[in-house]
Amino acid sequence: MRQALAALFGAGFTVAACYAAGSLVIERLRVALGRDERIPLAFVLGAACLHVAIFGILALHIAYWPVLAGVLAITIGTAVWTGAWRGVRTDSSKPAPPLSRPLLVVFGLCVGAFSIVYFVNAWAPEVSPDGGGYHLGLVARELRVHGFEATPTNFYFMLSAGVEMLYVPAFAIGRHSAAALVHFAFAIALALAILAYGRRIGKPWAGAAGALLAFASPVAGMDGSTAYVDVATAAIVFGAFYWTEIWDEQKGMRLLIPVGLLAGYAYAAKYTAFTIGIYALGFVAWRSRRLRPVLLVAGCALIMAGPWMARNWIWYQNPIAPFGNWIFRNPYIHVIFEHDYTASLRTYNMPSLWPLPVEVTVRGGFTQGIIGPAFLILPAALVALRYRAGRRLLLAGALVFSTYFGNIGTRFLIPCLPFFSLAIGLALGESIPLLGALMVFHAVASWPPVMNRYVNPNCWRLVRFPYKAALRITPPEKFLSENSYGYAGARLIESNVPPGEPVLTMTGVADAYTTHEILVSFESAGNQAVADTMNMGWNAGLQPSAQRVFRFPERQARRMRVVQTAQAEHPEQWNVHELRFYHQGKELARNLSWRLRAWPNPWEVQFAFDNSLATRWRSGEVAFPGMYLDADFGAEQMVDEVRLITSPEAGIRVQLESMNPANVWEMVSDKPGLESAAVPPGIRLMATSEMRARGIRNLLIYDANYGADDFAKDPEAWGLKLIARGEDTRLYRTIW
Amino acid sequence: MACAAVLAESGCQNMPEPYAPPVQRQQLENFLPYRMQAIVNMSDEDARTHFVQDITSLETSTWRWTGKRPTVRVRARTTENLRYTIDFAIAEATLLATGPVTVTFLVNDRVLDRARYSRAGNQHFEKAIPPDWVTAGQDVTVGAEIDKLWAPPQKGPKLGMILVRMGITQ
Repeated sequence: MRQALAALFGAGFTVAACYAAGSLVIERLRVALGRDERIPLAFVLGAACLHVAIFGILALHIAYWPVLAGVLAITIGTAVWTGAWRGVRTDSSKPAPPLSRPLLVVFGLCVGAFSIVYFVNAWAPEVSPDGGGYHLGLVARELRVHGFEATPTNFYFMLSAGVEMLYVPAFAIGRHSAAALVHFAFAIALALAILAYGRRIGKPWAGAAGALLAFASPVAGMDGSTAYVDVATAAIVFGAFYWTEIWDEQKGMRLLIPVGLLAGYAYAAKYTAFTIGIYALGFVAWRSRRLRPVLLVAGCALIMAGPWMARNWIWYQNPIAPFGNWIFRNPYIHVIFEHDYTASLRTYNMPSLWPLPVEVTVRGGFTQGIIGPAFLILPAALVALRYRAGRRLLLAGALVFSTYFGNIGTRFLIPCLPFFSLAIGLALGESIPLLGALMVFHAVASWPPVMNRYVNPNCWRLVRFPYKAALRITPPEKFLSENSYGYAGARLIESNVPPGEPVLTMTGVADAYTTHEILVSFESAGNQAVADTMNMGWNAGLQPSAQRVFRFPERQARRMRVVQTAQAEHPEQWNVHELRFYHQGKELARNLSWRLRAWPNPWEVQFAFDNSLATRWRSGEVAFPGMYLDADFGAEQMVDEVRLITSPEAGIRVQLESMNPANVWEMVSDKPGLESAAVPPGIRLMATSEMRARGIRNLLIYDANYGADDFAKDPEAWGLKLIARGEDTRLYRTIW
Repeated sequence: MACAAVLAESGCQNMPEPYAPPVQRQQLENFLPYRMQAIVNMSDEDARTHFVQDITSLETSTWRWTGKRPTVRVRARTTENLRYTIDFAIAEATLLATGPVTVTFLVNDRVLDRARYSRAGNQHFEKAIPPDWVTAGQDVTVGAEIDKLWAPPQKGPKLGMILVRMGITQ
């Protein structure tokens, strides 16, 4: 029960501080807001401001509990002391249109019922895959080291984390559930903001319908009950839009400050939401026809987004890490990984995208969740184009939606929901009974037990009402073990791996529940290289079983290179385990005067020159003409044979070149012999040795992982020892 | 746009200096990153999978009672420089009842050595295994036979020694 109360307190304290910070800004800007819109707008604006403060605390490495609590307390105290908390400037002279009784009943009952379900789920121990994984994994890690820490081993940690900044103080006080409850607060704020917007434009029924459509949307409910960030992003994006409307009505330069702050915070919350910044800049430019307002918005946006870009540029050599790696080349993410990863996000294994509208509204098996069948009438929202508000909503919604096909997961629709929901409300606003019926239909169809009747069984949705877990009557350990996929693996590691040691795994675990660094095979270039080496032990397709041999009349050379000249098909990379140079049958000894280059992926060139057949240099991109491996011997050498040890490959063509005294490359041969090479019988042991050489002694293998049987059958052949066995996992440790 | 161009330009220039060759790995024929250690600790997660006989389930997290001839099976990766290794204890209570005991140490059922123990407490025995007693890459049985068992006052199996770990090292 103490944990439950701590979670409530941590979340409540953080939410109150957000509201306080926003109230202070609103007071400072002397903005008159209606009572109904003040609370959600102040909360979201304050969240943006508080996120920068916490970013600063983490950057200074002073993220200790008292510091975080102190910042929250001072913010709240200042707001109360100055009267900003109460909103002394709240404009009560212009009361919003009152809500009719039927509207209050329908809206209140529906939102109330869903709120209880969401609240209880958020309060229960965090079991969501990404919440318990990287969202809170990052937060837990930052709190352990009291600040930011470069994490080139996990591309998720490279994403901007504007909402997670708010989870930091909440987590420090109330652990995982507190963070989820902060996210739930964003869901409430979003619903209130949509409702308030409807009243602001004189369409309370449209506002209520919009709020309910967005709030009761199953994927928003699921997401908003966890430590994800999508619902918060929706609230931020809609907040930015809302402030453009306020500015357009009141026309004060100061009103552009919240517009810019929230537009930038949207990027900080989720990259894909950057488009609201385009809307804000375009809208302000159009309505003001002056440069200064636009610059003000851009400047304020930069205050929010800039720190994240700077962090990534300094740490990962890429301001938009983990994307854009073909422009901002870096050692941390392979270009081909980004290509494959983003390609998978564009399809989610759907054979065709034609069923996507039904998939995201009714089925949800592929795209992980549904927004609800009521959104099948979205085309009717075009009727709202006849209203000025409708046109603006649909334009902003379309811009936010424009990034959706980069990731068709249903939750990536959440930031569009406020706009489209309101547009539907406006479109049907002339017929209150019809709108009321739509609200009731949506509420019924989105109610979890009803959903179970029609969605795909794999649909990501709320499936329980865990009030006992929320109150910690059910022990968290039990609840987490039964409901969190990666929790058991995390605890297995926590119980058996010595403190501070990293663990390599082919499949992720719930990072937020372990103090160890988890190196998931695909989450960085470095992890991929180690995982590639380990997989080489059991997968013949990756082993050094072939060699290309160039034999030629002996020649003197100071520098030689092998150039790849063919365009291969995806996913064929150019792989070289070893590149060796010979004279009269004797290999040239590598020495420190040699200089090695590669293009692309120059950072891993040493893998082709380390004398280990268990490592290989990989191009990190589909093989294209012009790739090369280049060795400068530092002095003239006699050479008559060059060998490339490779794994089985298709579509690769290579030629050998030598640099002449005029520093011009000359082709030596483009017809290497292709010979088989003996795979060392101790390849498994060599692979483990390479893993060990990188400071990794622990390996977690799920029974479902490829190669799991090979490890399980004879761990010692790998130089491993089984140290713990979970229900579906095995934890190994190197013997030496 | 200007910012984007500057960013993109700087990204393209982000190439490292050439590298020197790294530390060269050992050739495979000499590849021995560690000494072979096919030891079964009673605390091991997979200890049971190595048991052949006479190791009881009377246990704590670090040791088990044995019967007359506790035996484990391990894999010998090599035949060179192998050593029989065992850590066990003779309990005070059993020694009082049985008197001094003799333990015979066995490898693949061949007697490697014998030792007599007249005092209770922890014992360690280690001895080189002749290379021709084992075959590289095959399983080896490693055992220890105690000549006298102790019958507990309460009903239950007769007990030999308290085994902590047993196997071969290099």
